[in-house]
Amino acid sequence: MANFMSPMPSREFLWDVFQRVDKDRSGFISSDELQMALSNGTWTPFNPETVRLMIGMFDKQNRGTVSFEDFGALWKYVTDWQACFRSFDRDGSGNINVTELKNALTSFGYSLSEQVVSVMLKRFDRFGRGTILFDDFIQCCVVLHTLTAAFRQFDTDQDGYITIHYEQFLNMVFGLKI
Amino acid sequence: MAQEQMPPREFLWDMFQKLDKDRSGSITASELQTALSNGTWTPFNPETVRLMMAMFDKSNKGTITFDDFGALWKYITDWQNCFRSFDKDNSGNIDRNELRAALQTFGYNLNDATVATMLQKFDRLGKGTVLFDDFIQCCIMLNNLTTAFRQFDTDQDGVVTLHYEQFVGLVFSIK
Repeated sequence: MANFMSPMPSREFLWDVFQRVDKDRSGFISSDELQMALSNGTWTPFNPETVRLMIGMFDKQNRGTVSFEDFGALWKYVTDWQACFRSFDRDGSGNINVTELKNALTSFGYSLSEQVVSVMLKRFDRFGRGTILFDDFIQCCVVLHTLTAAFRQFDTDQDGYITIHYEQFLNMVFGLKI
Repeated sequence: MAQEQMPPREFLWDMFQKLDKDRSGSITASELQTALSNGTWTPFNPETVRLMMAMFDKSNKGTITFDDFGALWKYITDWQNCFRSFDKDNSGNIDRNELRAALQTFGYNLNDATVATMLQKFDRLGKGTVLFDDFIQCCIMLNNLTTAFRQFDTDQDGVVTLHYEQFVGLVFSIK
C-alpha cells in the first residue's frame, strides 16, 4: 500500500465530506451512514463486513461510530485503497480478476500459488464471474493480512510451517477479527 | 439435536407465501432475514441468513424455491428447539455455561478458554451471551472448522502441521 499514500486533505475539505456522510447530524458516522456513502462501482450495497471492519479500525472510543477526529484517518484509508484498486484494475473494468489479484498480492509482498489466489477470489466473487469488486478486494486483503499475522505468531522458527493442536486452531480462527 | 416432523405441504405453502413478499415465487436473503427474529429488535444476523441460504439453495441462484423451503423450515425449527432447550433460564440468550453444555451435547469437548473465545466472537451485545442467530452461526462455523481440521489430521491425533499456503487456503475456504 506504500505506493498509494495520498496526502491528508485540509480540515475544511474533511469537514465538508463528514457533514455530507453524517446524514442524521449526530456528530458521528454510523456504519449505516458509511455504507450508504461508499460505492463499489455497482448498484449493489457496499459489503457490510468491510464497513464493520473499517469502523472497528478507526473507532478509537469503541462506540461503533466514527467521530470527526477519527474521520481524517478513515477518509485517507478508503482513498488509498481506491488508488490501489484502480492501479491493479488494468483493464479499467471496475473489478479485479485472478491475474490482477495475484499481481496486487505480489506487490504487497505475498507470494501465493495460483491455487490459493483462486480460493481467495472464489470466496469474495459476489457475482460468480471470477472477479472481485472494490469493497470485497479490501476485505480480501485485510483478511489475508490478519491471517498472516496469526500464522507468524505460531511459526516461531519462521520456516513457513506450523504444528498446531485442534483447540489452538479453533482459538486462533475464532479469535481472528475477520 | 431434536428433530421436528416435516409439516404438511399446505402449512409450508402458507408460510412460503407469507415470506415471499414480492410474490416472485422464490425467497431472497432479505425476505428471509425480515421473517426471522433473534428475540431482540436487532436485525437477524445476515451472515447466518447467507449460510442457511447457501445450504438449501440447490439451484445456486441465491434464492429459495418452494421445493427447497421445507428443508429450510425444518432446519430453522430444529435450531429453535435446540436453542430453547439449552437456554435453561429462558433468557432468550445463551451464556457461557449453556454454550459449553450445548457443544458437549454435539460431541465437542472444548476447554473453557476456547468456549470463551467463541462466546466473545459472537457476543453481539457485549453481555457475555449469544443470541439465537449468532448461536447458529457459531455452531456451523465450529462444524466447518472441525471438518477442515480433520482433513489434515490424517492420523487423528488432534495435531496438524500446516504450511502457510495450506493455512490460508483452509481459512479462506471455510464458509
